[in-house]
Amino acid sequence: MAHVLVIDDNAVNLDLMLYLLQAFGHVAEGHTDALAALEAAKAGDFDIVLTDILMPRLDGYEFTRRLRSEARRYGSIPFVAVTALAMPGDRERISSAGFDGYIGKPIEPQAFVAQVESYLRRNGS
Amino acid sequence: MDDSATFSLEDLAGSRFPLLEYAPDATIVVDAEGKIRLVNAHTERLFGYYREELIGHPIEMLIPARYHSRHVGERKGYYSDPHVRPMGVGLELNGLRKNGSEFPVEISLAPVVTIEGTFVSCSVRDSSERKAFERRLKELNTALESANRAKDQFLASMSHELRTPLNAIIGFTGTLLMRIPGQLNDEQVRQLEIVQSSARHLLSLINDILDLAKIESGKMELTFEEIGVKEVVDEVAASLAALASQKQLDFATHVADIPRPLSTDRRALAQILLNLANNALKYTETGSVRIDVWATSHNGSSAVAFSVSDTGIGIKPEDQERLFVAFEQLDRSSTRRFEGTGLGLYLCRNLAQLLGGELGVTSVYGKGSTFTLKLPHR
Repeated sequence: MAHVLVIDDNAVNLDLMLYLLQAFGHVAEGHTDALAALEAAKAGDFDIVLTDILMPRLDGYEFTRRLRSEARRYGSIPFVAVTALAMPGDRERISSAGFDGYIGKPIEPQAFVAQVESYLRRNGS
Repeated sequence: MDDSATFSLEDLAGSRFPLLEYAPDATIVVDAEGKIRLVNAHTERLFGYYREELIGHPIEMLIPARYHSRHVGERKGYYSDPHVRPMGVGLELNGLRKNGSEFPVEISLAPVVTIEGTFVSCSVRDSSERKAFERRLKELNTALESANRAKDQFLASMSHELRTPLNAIIGFTGTLLMRIPGQLNDEQVRQLEIVQSSARHLLSLINDILDLAKIESGKMELTFEEIGVKEVVDEVAASLAALASQKQLDFATHVADIPRPLSTDRRALAQILLNLANNALKYTETGSVRIDVWATSHNGSSAVAFSVSDTGIGIKPEDQERLFVAFEQLDRSSTRRFEGTGLGLYLCRNLAQLLGGELGVTSVYGKGSTFTLKLPHR
């Protein structure tokens, strides 16, 4: 069982991810506002972060950069982009921005939790 | 003096054969000192002088003062090595009219050897119209580039915005079919599976449209490298094995020995084969589907042929070319038996052309079809 932080500005898509994670026994906390998620992350202790990329106020790149620089314990946990950005080059851009993983939308509901768990395992936790 | 010369400057003025006088460009003959010796009617019109005002005066009177020192140097340089210099070669230059106004000119030069010695004939053409046209063309190009960028941006946004709601549709249909909220009866399962396959269909439409848009805007990124033909075919076959066994079709591949390694884009080739084999399985109820690969020739050069054959419904001769047209699925009835985007073969043919190859079909109606892709060695 992992402690998962999930950020997506679309409430329905956030609901879907939380629902799947909880159905498979994980503890998941969700935010539609990345700035609120940043504060929650600093106050809490998560094993993995799943974040959308295109969001108002604070995008996934900036969220990741700030959380990693502002809270040292997030330097070593996996950050996974869950995004509908699927044009050529998007995946490469996301990976070079320091993300450990990429899950494209639409997600495969049967495979989603297993994908998240594989990123957790890859990180040795 | 030049011994080979047979005519004088006077002859050149041509009272009997006034070709120079009616030449379409302003023509000015200049001597070694840079003095104007001869002009034609067009020169008078272009510069606004009578010819009496020009003859015997330095050519520099037709050139804005800021070019004078450079022009004198170039003129002397030309005289030391006279040769034909065509229009539009060399530096940007302006002409100066009598009324002080300037206009852009194109000039061509040629030495003229007469009994009196060597002169230079200059043809001068007003290039304002051409310049204006070039400017307009440049503006249009800039506008086109920004329209292209806007289109790319639009496609990227469309891709993102369409995927977002599809995520919820496919996602929650999935959670229901996974029975996470609770058990389902058979009818609920049937309906949910319809929602799921329709959503997947919509997703593949979006993907095909984006691929086509990429091809059309030249944005399809291809990497040509030597590939293992057998591996690609095996991968395609493996990903369709479940569909074949579900329909109880015999699905076989045979890759003959290819003497030369094939250099192509692996992803595009796999996409074409996957599309063709998927179609073949879809349109075949009994019998077999096979993928064959062999060395062949195409337009006189060596090539590799990939064919996908089936024992399916076949295609009437008059329908065979329509297959490759976008959204031309052959069965247009409202209860279409087969689901597809109507873009698959159109996309395949476009991809084949990008790879430098060709995609064609032979078919016997009621017996089956064979689609053949030929990729020449590069």
